[in-house]
Amino acid sequence: MRTIWAPIILIVLFATPMIQLVFASETPGEYVNRAQEIWNLFFRMMTIAFVVGGVIAGTIVWQVWRFRESNPKAKPTPYEDKGDL
Amino acid sequence: MVLTLAKPRPIWQIMFSTHHTDVGLMYLIFSIMALFIGGAMAIAIRVELFAPGAQIIADAMTFNRLFTSHGTTMIFLFLLPSASAVGNYLVPIMVRYKDMAYPKLNAIAFWMIPPAAALVWLGMADFGWYANPPYSVISAPAPAAEMWIFGLKILGISSVLGSINFVVTILKCKHPDMSIGKVPLLAWSFLAASTIAIMAIPTFAAGLLMLLTDRLGATGFFNPLVGGDPIAYQHLFWFTFHPEVYVLVIPAIGMMYEIIPRFSRRPIFSHSSGVFAFVLLSIVAFASWAHHMFATGMSFTEKTVFMVGTLAAVPASAMHVFNFLATMWNGRIKFATPMMWAVGGIALFFSAGAGGVVNTAMPLDFITHDSYWVVGHFHLFVFGTIAFGTIGFFYYLFPYVTRRMYNEKLGVVHFILSMVGASLTFFTQHLLGLYGMPRRVFDYPEIPEWIAMNQIISIGAMIILVGMGIFLVNLIYSSARGKPANMNDPFGLGGKYYYPYSQLNPHHDKAGY
Repeated sequence: MRTIWAPIILIVLFATPMIQLVFASETPGEYVNRAQEIWNLFFRMMTIAFVVGGVIAGTIVWQVWRFRESNPKAKPTPYEDKGDL
Repeated sequence: MVLTLAKPRPIWQIMFSTHHTDVGLMYLIFSIMALFIGGAMAIAIRVELFAPGAQIIADAMTFNRLFTSHGTTMIFLFLLPSASAVGNYLVPIMVRYKDMAYPKLNAIAFWMIPPAAALVWLGMADFGWYANPPYSVISAPAPAAEMWIFGLKILGISSVLGSINFVVTILKCKHPDMSIGKVPLLAWSFLAASTIAIMAIPTFAAGLLMLLTDRLGATGFFNPLVGGDPIAYQHLFWFTFHPEVYVLVIPAIGMMYEIIPRFSRRPIFSHSSGVFAFVLLSIVAFASWAHHMFATGMSFTEKTVFMVGTLAAVPASAMHVFNFLATMWNGRIKFATPMMWAVGGIALFFSAGAGGVVNTAMPLDFITHDSYWVVGHFHLFVFGTIAFGTIGFFYYLFPYVTRRMYNEKLGVVHFILSMVGASLTFFTQHLLGLYGMPRRVFDYPEIPEWIAMNQIISIGAMIILVGMGIFLVNLIYSSARGKPANMNDPFGLGGKYYYPYSQLNPHHDKAGY
């Protein structure tokens, strides 16, 4: 079930607008406002960038908080004091 | 090798030494000096742009000279020598060899840099660090342009000599018991970066020679007045200098590979994926140069090829980031100064990479091209990633160089100020670009949003300046008066992990070396 989300997100964000764009450019009487399309693409890509960036940055922040040595839950790693650092 | 300010070694002994740690020390001191000279130029630029109209710089020509020298200084005289400093100190130790493969050549490669720097700094050319024709051929004033060209020629030769030395040292001089797969990732990063440099730099060397003969009137390769093609120069330039970005970033990532496992108290998650990602980046470095030139009238097919080539760097870069995150996972992380810089560098690396994806998407490139977005992206990359990794490693190397400890509190303050300053400066530059402000301008119209954002950027730059001032004080004071370091475990991590060599007077002929 989880694997279906990736293609759905890609279709919504990229494929559908691209198809609309292509057909709009070939349909008589319609024209493409390039500036609008480019800015739309920009905002879509920034949405993706912020979502992915949020996940990565959130992971880094969580790791910094969770695995810092002053965290009460921190445990010595198996490699300490063995010269394996 | 050991820099003791309290009882210093005779300076000539260091200057005429060919020992890798002495050459490393000279690279280190020179690169820090260049960082402050280039930084002073950056501050002058930011003070000038704090408000519309001329502030402290008399005219646009002087402004152009400043930003040209700033860019040239930071890239060729700070970042490249700082990587060489680290490589000289550690690559022979990591491959368990007595020195670099060619010690005299190593010293010569360093000593080519000061005269080249003098040419760049005394000439103060005005055509940007890219020297694009037709301006650089037809109008750029002499002798500044010629001095810059000769300076860059010398720096290019120095880089190639240094790179050959790294490649030979790693491949031919490593200990017989050490297979190439066991070479530490920092040494691998120097192998990858040096290979790129050897392959990329000759192209620009040819371009510079053609530029010079064009300026002398002997040829017209790039001069449109006699049928030359200015775009051809851009191809030669970017064929060298897009890979050069990787020459700078790969060693910085290698430095993070040294810091992060140590301070996480865990071995690196995947050594082989780090090697694979370095090799992959070395290849795709050559598949993306023309993404800098989407606005020069390239065909759709050409642009598509280079867009895809650029995007190929994303998975390789992501492999490094995930390798770092997986290494930190389940660790017991000590957030000493080097680790803070490394983790901050990863966060900004990711942000810079996201901006790069936008730049390389063809339609979006036309929004951002030649705007402050590009300035923000580039600086987030070179300062937020490369300089963060490098400065963090300078702190890590400090006990090795001086046998003393730096002041930890000052190091933390330096990091916090730099992180805040870099975020304010470079993220705001992205936004300023989206608001339409072009790059490389001396003055700008009184648009309220532009003024506000320029002032935020300048304040961010001042915060970085304060941090760098603290860095300098910390370096000098701690070199003389810092607490003596425990050379087995200077950072109190437990275990013996630090680099073994710490002789006071290194000479090749001394017993016990």
